[in-house]
Amino acid sequence: MTLTEEIGAHSHDLCTSNPDTRCAQRWSGFCIPYIGATIGDLFQKRHPLRVVLDALCGLFDAALEGHCSSVVLLDPTQARVRYAVGPNLPSSYNEQLTGNPVRVVGAPHIAYGLRLSWSSPILSLTGELLGVFAVFLREGSDPVPIPPTLLPQFAHIASVAIERGRSVEKSGRSEAILRKTQYLSSTGSFSWRPATDEMEGSEELYRIFELDSSLRLTLELMCSRVHPEDVPLFREKISRARNGSDFEFEHRLRMPDHSVKYVRSTVQATRDEDDQLDYIGVIQDVTPRSLSEEALDKARAELARVARVSSLGALTASIAHEVNQPLSGTVTNCSTCLHMLAADPPDLEGARETARLAIRDAQRAADVIRRVRALFGRRNEPTESVDLNEATQEVIALLLTELQRAGADLRMELAEDLPLVRGDRVQLQQVILNLLLNACEAMKDVQDRPRRLVIGTERGEGGGIRLRVRDTGLGFEPQDLKRLFQAFYTTKTGGMGIGLSVSRSIIERHHGRLWGELNDGPGATFSFSIPCEPAQCAAKDHRWSSVYSSRS
Amino acid sequence: MVISLLVSVVDDDQSVRESLPALLQQLGYATQVFASAEEFLVSDYVDDTRCLILDIALPGMSGPDLQQELIRRGHRIPIIFITGLDDEAVRERLLSLGAVEYLSKPFSEGALLAALDAARRVR
Repeated sequence: MTLTEEIGAHSHDLCTSNPDTRCAQRWSGFCIPYIGATIGDLFQKRHPLRVVLDALCGLFDAALEGHCSSVVLLDPTQARVRYAVGPNLPSSYNEQLTGNPVRVVGAPHIAYGLRLSWSSPILSLTGELLGVFAVFLREGSDPVPIPPTLLPQFAHIASVAIERGRSVEKSGRSEAILRKTQYLSSTGSFSWRPATDEMEGSEELYRIFELDSSLRLTLELMCSRVHPEDVPLFREKISRARNGSDFEFEHRLRMPDHSVKYVRSTVQATRDEDDQLDYIGVIQDVTPRSLSEEALDKARAELARVARVSSLGALTASIAHEVNQPLSGTVTNCSTCLHMLAADPPDLEGARETARLAIRDAQRAADVIRRVRALFGRRNEPTESVDLNEATQEVIALLLTELQRAGADLRMELAEDLPLVRGDRVQLQQVILNLLLNACEAMKDVQDRPRRLVIGTERGEGGGIRLRVRDTGLGFEPQDLKRLFQAFYTTKTGGMGIGLSVSRSIIERHHGRLWGELNDGPGATFSFSIPCEPAQCAAKDHRWSSVYSSRS
Repeated sequence: MVISLLVSVVDDDQSVRESLPALLQQLGYATQVFASAEEFLVSDYVDDTRCLILDIALPGMSGPDLQQELIRRGHRIPIIFITGLDDEAVRERLLSLGAVEYLSKPFSEGALLAALDAARRVR
């Protein structure tokens, strides 16, 4: 039922149910259907509820000389006055009520020389109190008789108007929300009837497709924006959809400026009352996400590098120490050399010998720098034959100061005659470095037992080579074992927790495996095994040989 | 000619152990070298040492540990710390505990001479 019809029905009631003929005459001239039509028209023209209610009061007042009516509208909590309207009431009166709690409103009309003649609550269909319809008599005017049912009828018209106004407001709000949501989620929507090819698209859809909003949406129009390489896929999906199947796919769009967008289309079939296929589709612009996935990949690679560099950060002091030792020797030797040359007679043999020592020390400093560069450089070494013992010793040479600082008692148990492995020497050294630093970290808080760190190499099962790093640290919770190898998982408060996951992926690239296990005693052992070079696997059995302590 | 004062050098780094005594000898000092604090403590040279050039980061007993141990034993040997790891906080602490000087490796002959002079003025 339209508003006009609804109000009209009530006006009919109003005229027929009125027993007072004198009143009936008066009010039939008033032409209530006209009210319905006027109010309906105002809604049609999208006038706000306030204007409609104001007009309603105006129509009432026009028929009653000396009276002025008012609608006081409550907010949905019914605790406050949303606003009051009444075109013939002083505007200050209306303003005075607006926003006030209902309980404190009192009787402000008295101050304006008004006397309350009649009032009626405005109730919704469900009985909710929406407001009050009140009629005031001006000072000095005579009361005019009105039919007793008129007021409730008017209140009812007001209630229909208010409910209608609210639903318009609400749908306007949900439309605005929908529009905003579509914008925020970069999701456009459309409807499509395959039978007639009728389509309708949302504002956001036009925005994503960069279409002029005045254009009528058609499949062809949409297709004109689909990336040429994806057009066959798009057409295929559309032709299958004509048979009633839902689909979801990702494709690209190409804009007039040749920029490319990535979109995900989800289209679902529904049936209307006539059992006609009716599709609802959403198209989400996932370009930023696609681009950010790309960026994420880059970030991951960068992070792996940063993890190395942050190990470098931890090692800077160690490296400075390693470099400064031989530099110190060089400087001192050169001073000595000068003294020997300045002596009378000059000690040429001594000077020569000291100069050689200076050269040797400078060479040592250069060696340290070269090792550091090899360890932390960004270049990708080609695959080469790697002596794991040698690689391990190089890492340890760099780490000695760090190990001392950590109070770790290092033992090396490197198997002699270890076959070579094929791989990236630098990457394998990074893994060894990570395992050693992790072990130090795990023993950091250990006070009640020696912080023993054992690094060993040996031939493993299946002709591979195993390297293990055993510590007497805090170990890990068995249930955490799996997570230890996930990126960003860490039991450390410092550190980035990427070491083990990167280490594992490096070892896996070497066709090996990396694992951790808890020791029988305190601490944990992390090991990796990688296959040795095919030609080397048949080499003779290993013997334990170089068992020595770093503190010797 | 005055009797050569004994300067003992304790450093785990070979190049320092080789180069520093040679220079000290050129400067007119008698020298003894040790690779660790423990080695120095058990040697016969503790009493005769007039100046100790001591590395900080030593395996086992560290340089500062040795400083404390010497104080505990009542030896008041002037100590010049040398380190490959410059750390202002450590420097402050060691000097406040009575060290004569704190030299960062590599140090110049001039810095060494100044430190040795300061050590001779002690006591």
